[in-house]
Amino acid sequence: MRKVLEVSLETLAAIGGFVDIGDIVANSETGARFRMSLAWGGVLGVIGIVLYAEMSGRVATLSHRPVFDLVRERLGARVALVNLVASFFINFLTLTAEIAGVAVTLQLASGINYLAWIPLVALMVWFTMWRVKFSVMEKVYGLLGLALIVTVVAVFRLHEFHTIVREATNLHRPSTEDWPTYFYFAIALFGAAMTPYEVFFFSSGAVEEGWTRKDLMVNRANVYIGFPLGGALSLAIMAGAALLLAPRGISVDHLSQAAIPVTFVLGKLGLGILIFGMGIAFFGAALETGLSGGYIVSQFFGWQWEKFVKPVDAPRFHLVILVSVILAAAFGLTTVDPVKVTEYSIVLSAAALPLTYFPILIIANDPEYMGDKTNSKFSNALGFFYLVLLTAIAIATIPLMIITKAGA
Amino acid sequence: MTDVAKRVIDAGLNLLDRQIIDKDGMMSGNVDDLELTVPEEGGPPVITAILAGPGALARRLGARSGAWLESLHVRLHPSEQPGPARIAFGVVKRVADHVEITVSRSDLDVSRFEKWVRKHVIGKIPGARA
Repeated sequence: MRKVLEVSLETLAAIGGFVDIGDIVANSETGARFRMSLAWGGVLGVIGIVLYAEMSGRVATLSHRPVFDLVRERLGARVALVNLVASFFINFLTLTAEIAGVAVTLQLASGINYLAWIPLVALMVWFTMWRVKFSVMEKVYGLLGLALIVTVVAVFRLHEFHTIVREATNLHRPSTEDWPTYFYFAIALFGAAMTPYEVFFFSSGAVEEGWTRKDLMVNRANVYIGFPLGGALSLAIMAGAALLLAPRGISVDHLSQAAIPVTFVLGKLGLGILIFGMGIAFFGAALETGLSGGYIVSQFFGWQWEKFVKPVDAPRFHLVILVSVILAAAFGLTTVDPVKVTEYSIVLSAAALPLTYFPILIIANDPEYMGDKTNSKFSNALGFFYLVLLTAIAIATIPLMIITKAGA
Repeated sequence: MTDVAKRVIDAGLNLLDRQIIDKDGMMSGNVDDLELTVPEEGGPPVITAILAGPGALARRLGARSGAWLESLHVRLHPSEQPGPARIAFGVVKRVADHVEITVSRSDLDVSRFEKWVRKHVIGKIPGARA
């Protein structure tokens, strides 16, 4: 019974922990501009992250080694360094966006400018990583993040479910947009669901919590149930924007505009719950990205990382985290637009992924590490398909960014 | 040692880039490179040491990033011409998922930067020892 409770708690936390600022921005923007015609991009991303998160969790559990350790071992020092630099940079952009995002939600709640909140948010993010136990931290923000279900409630209240499904299943490009822009936003949605930090955090977490074969069930429940339901929250945000913002020609340039659909349907109470949910979700993602930066650098160099040892026993790991948070706060304080930072981070995400996912796929097939838990033929076929897709996206992203002027 | 001697291991795959774990189970760097010595009496070269840390990694990276890391290592190291940090291969206890050694990481030359960060930065923040 305790086990069942634990699994359901973790799975619920996985739903709330899935959404971050990238998902909110990408889904509101595309909903407002493309209605539901790009829903497939998000669905494709969620399937991809489910596939590779499960694989990385299984690999970490059986080999006791997190993803970036394996990246270094299989790709060698030089290629792994290229991956480290790219992943760390994108992760840093995401960290900046999440910290600034929390500050914006505080501005929406208090009326005090978000720039004044950034130092305080950064301090809280750092302090949580410094002091709070991993398992507690992960569950608290995951469960509180469930407040975002308010977006689903709002969509159901509109009673337009058939419109959403019809538009989402009918692949077409709105006549007001051209093909490059259409695909650029598809990449944004895809990248928002598949941000690199997710597998770094997930696999390092599995090692931190000392997962064994018995925990593989928890791994599957989290990923197969938690992630798709988290993805459903993102789709609800897109649907809200498609139904209420698109017809009025409102585009999403600020986080407050992403809150319009819920406010319209559910009033002030709905808005309050949504702002709370967004703040928690961004805060949780700031923790995940902050830790991920420390994880990947430490794992590349072989430094002691893990959160469950005292900070003095993992000083370089904590140094990376501290410096990242300070720099992210400083970057946020330059008045750089949080929404723009988010857009760049998610679009570049997909491009950085092949060098991380390739070693996972290889190790997941190695019986020396995995014993009888190697990939099924189905996972391999799908895994290979995603690797090809990600490589194609990696090549297409920068040219598309230039042609479309970053989706302008 | 016998454990190591009995098994055939591929140095490139089973040793290089692996995590080093000290006698207390702490992570103590990666196997960044290996020191090979040709025995005086002839025969194939044998592994005499694990080379770890930036000094060893720089030579693996090569090119500009390697040269940059090498100069950083030389500049920050107290001795005039520091080579890469060595861990004699005799202290290797087991080669499995990780490379386990029989000494503490605090006795290793590769832990120099870690000690500095502990003493001057992280150790000074309240709560670092809890």
